[in-house]
Amino acid sequence: MSTSVIDTEVPVLQTENVGKTYGRGPARFHALKGLSCEIDHGESVAVIGKSGSGKSTLMHVLALLDRPSSGTVCLEGEQVNDLKPQHISTLRNETFGFIFQQFFLNPNQTVLENVTLPLKIAGVGRSERNRRGMEVLRQLEMDSKAKNKATDLSGGQKQRVCIARALISNPTVIFADEPTGNLDSATSETVEDILFGLHAHHGITLVIVTHDEDLAAKCQRRLIMQDGEILSEEPGAHTAVNNSEGGAA
Amino acid sequence: MRAIDVTRTAVGNTLRSKLRTFFTVLAIVVGAFTLALTMGIGAGVGKFVDNVASDYGQLDQMFVSAAPEADADSDSELTEYDPQARQDAGEGDFFRDMMAGGALDDDDITTLEQIDGVTEVYPVLSVQTEYVETSASDAYELQEIGFPSISDAMHLTAGEVATAGETEMTIPEKWLEAFGLEEAEANSVVGEVVDLGVPNAIGGVETVEVTISGVSQEAISGVGGTPMPSMSLYQHIYDLNQHGLEQTPDPVYVQAIVDVENLEENEQAIKADLEEAGYQGITAEDQMGQIQGLIDAVTWVIGGFGLIALLAASFGIVNTLLMSVQERTREIGLMKALGLSRARVFSLFSAEAIMLGIMGAAIGIAGGVLTGVIGNRILTDGPLSDVVGLTLYEVAPVPLLMVVALILIIAFIAGTLPAWRAAKKDPIEALRYE
Repeated sequence: MSTSVIDTEVPVLQTENVGKTYGRGPARFHALKGLSCEIDHGESVAVIGKSGSGKSTLMHVLALLDRPSSGTVCLEGEQVNDLKPQHISTLRNETFGFIFQQFFLNPNQTVLENVTLPLKIAGVGRSERNRRGMEVLRQLEMDSKAKNKATDLSGGQKQRVCIARALISNPTVIFADEPTGNLDSATSETVEDILFGLHAHHGITLVIVTHDEDLAAKCQRRLIMQDGEILSEEPGAHTAVNNSEGGAA
Repeated sequence: MRAIDVTRTAVGNTLRSKLRTFFTVLAIVVGAFTLALTMGIGAGVGKFVDNVASDYGQLDQMFVSAAPEADADSDSELTEYDPQARQDAGEGDFFRDMMAGGALDDDDITTLEQIDGVTEVYPVLSVQTEYVETSASDAYELQEIGFPSISDAMHLTAGEVATAGETEMTIPEKWLEAFGLEEAEANSVVGEVVDLGVPNAIGGVETVEVTISGVSQEAISGVGGTPMPSMSLYQHIYDLNQHGLEQTPDPVYVQAIVDVENLEENEQAIKADLEEAGYQGITAEDQMGQIQGLIDAVTWVIGGFGLIALLAASFGIVNTLLMSVQERTREIGLMKALGLSRARVFSLFSAEAIMLGIMGAAIGIAGGVLTGVIGNRILTDGPLSDVVGLTLYEVAPVPLLMVVALILIIAFIAGTLPAWRAAKKDPIEALRYE
């Protein structure tokens, strides 16, 4: 593995020969074809590729949202394929944070309620939830909007709320699916800065699925996917900005 | 997710689309209202019937008459007329034909006295009276006087029950008018002497001076609604009725009222013994049981409509929640992605169904109880105020709690299908859902 910020021997996530197929018979579709990869503690990894390349499927498998049809997935060295759904739910809640392109904020709830949802799911009491929620909103300079409805926010503000939500349960890994896909370039910049700031200062592992070359370039490592396989793996980022490959638009 | 958060979230979600919730709840309200009302009416009328029955029941008495003849109740067949048989039947059988149960004579009374558990037999004579004349008024017609065996069941507003051996009687409240008194002045009539006109056998009227011992209130059972003489006065009136006859005929009794030892315990045994001896005994409760049965039937029919309304309402719950699940697909997906288990998603929507049930039950039952209580007051103070002690509606906590439980169970069952749908949603699919 290239650069490890935290000196942990065991990779935080590891897949071995993971395959995922959808459908049966002639309609059978291989989304992942025996894919192996490792993501270390404190790494920032971009998964890039065209639509249908399997990058979203890979993220779902890594994030334990989806079960692979074959192969194994390990979290902190422990195989998780055969765990009970409830156990996997708990692991997801405690270990991962999620940021989505479409934000998925509940428009009927306040910013604070949206942010504290993972803690509510984890069974944390209300006062503790709100305290931690305000803390994380302050960290993202969104505390003044805590009582606002989520719909009253601009795109950039919404994504900051989403980051706050992903951050609130002190996750080991944050999965971001096209985090800047719905933002203009200036706002994108801010959101990216926040994400990489968290990575740099808090040692949070970032797994970013994106079309965006610029965003991918800021990650330490890039997995380029095509037809359900990892086509190539490139160190990235700050060292090699001028790349030519990738299927981004 | 904590149970309290599940509840809070469910409450929040039901209030999200208020109009939809309103109409879903309204359907439940209709059912809950109907059930709350019928349960209360059943309880209220039941209590009233019990009260009436206990007017008699507390006396440990039974009404005994001769058992109906075997062919008396086979009214499905026509009996051929036989003039000879008619003649043979004789005069004494006139009452037997009149009374369904048949009349009794002195031999019967002796037999009754020997039955186990019977402590006292009051043969019911039929007596006639003509009028009552007070010092303050002209004579008032008096057609009916009470039979003293039930004096203890009367609710007295003044004075006391007529003492055995004395020429006394109580009068009902309505007779106060004859003394020019209001109901509140009942006390001042006690001790007054009235003239009681009694017809004799040869067309004359004889008078008896009777002291008023008390004033009684009339109950629905009729107890206390007529002047009630002491036993000795009653007998005296009977004797006066026979005056003028050369030979006093053997008395014929309409029925006998028997005091028994501990009615509740010995009822069946005594009834069996009576039946064996050729009599039938019925208790006040038996008589009231028929009324109770009718009220129960009506209550159940209306209650049945309430249940049907609830059944229909349950489909409303299913419908509302299915829509809700559909609308909130992405929210469910997100919560599952963030680690909410299937079981919790299920309980979230179940809780929502139960919330709808609670709202419907609360509003419906509150409405039903309020309507019942107010309706009861209006009717018993107004058109039905003559009936003493009448309750048409009674707040019955246990049946009401059962209605609540029933509604919650129905709501829960209705919620299972949508909740299950929500629980099995795949987070990835759900998040992709547009």
